[in-house]
Amino acid sequence: MGLEYVKISPGFEKYMPKDYVDLVKYGQFGRQIDVQQIDQIKELVEEHPMCAGCYMAYFVRIFYASLPKPEDTIVLGTAGCARLALSQAAVPFIYGNYGDTNAVASGLKRALNIRFPDKVKDVVVMAGDGGLMDIGFGMTMHSWFRRENFTTIMVDNEVYGNTGGQESGMSPKGVQLKMAPKGKKFDKINAVELAKIAGCVYVAKLAPTNPKRIAKTIKRAILAAREIGPTFIHIYTSCNIEYSIPTERVLADAKEREKNDFGFYEWMTDEAKQYIEEQEKKMAETKA
Amino acid sequence: MYYVADVKESECAKYNCKQCVLFCPEPNTLMYNSEKHVAWVNYSRCKGCAVCVYVCSDLLKRNCIEMVMMTTGD
Repeated sequence: MGLEYVKISPGFEKYMPKDYVDLVKYGQFGRQIDVQQIDQIKELVEEHPMCAGCYMAYFVRIFYASLPKPEDTIVLGTAGCARLALSQAAVPFIYGNYGDTNAVASGLKRALNIRFPDKVKDVVVMAGDGGLMDIGFGMTMHSWFRRENFTTIMVDNEVYGNTGGQESGMSPKGVQLKMAPKGKKFDKINAVELAKIAGCVYVAKLAPTNPKRIAKTIKRAILAAREIGPTFIHIYTSCNIEYSIPTERVLADAKEREKNDFGFYEWMTDEAKQYIEEQEKKMAETKA
Repeated sequence: MYYVADVKESECAKYNCKQCVLFCPEPNTLMYNSEKHVAWVNYSRCKGCAVCVYVCSDLLKRNCIEMVMMTTGD
């Protein structure tokens, strides 16, 4: 898209849906917002059919509020829960076949570089543990080996959520699920270490307990992916249906997992660190 | 009948806090009125998960949000 495509042509305001007019008037397009100001803006993501109390939906909400340049961003998703909310946002969304997100994103990012050589276009992949670490594993790894410049975000609910609860490579060892009644026999895949070895320049792992921290991590991952190399975020987004977590306890569960095995972890190369620091300084200056 | 969150305005106005807004999973559902310093719920969008009640009552001990049953048109 681009900022000029988002804006409504003069005289057409009264024919546009109210939600869209609000989005242009009070939304994020063309300005930087702090995630703490989320109550003062019309959010990019709209009503969606994700389950009540789903913390993946919460992460998607914070994700859209943290985009550094929503008008110049393209989001890719695949089969899985996250696409239900991702497709309801005012940011272009591409839905590939199961597991091919990172291959599609590679081509897309290269094409955007040729078509818009003087503009910054962000490409972000957001898929589940099945899409990135099981079925799309090969394409995910190869996009990192090729050092493609885009961000990969894994929303890890540790189960195949909307097909009835089969175990995934990311389910913890020993966990019993509806379609895995004997309990899982293998360890959870260490996605963070894989990403580091495969060539990602910024890798983070976190649980959705602190919106400010989520926003900062997402901004850093997207900035580093513009110039330096592939970036990866591994986020725990519980499935309250398959793991039988009462909806009012999902945040408590996230906090507990943060204490146990999803503590905040951030790693970046020296080159990425230098670039991120420069960019963050620039952003702070333009804000002030 | 819908099960939705409802903010007790008189209680909520005592605090200048919008933690519930920051932890609601639904977009544009729990809103904040910065003039009155109160949070308010867009009932037609609320899915009734009660995460806001956990934030307000269990974490902050402020008890400003309760879950209520509502019929269409309320």
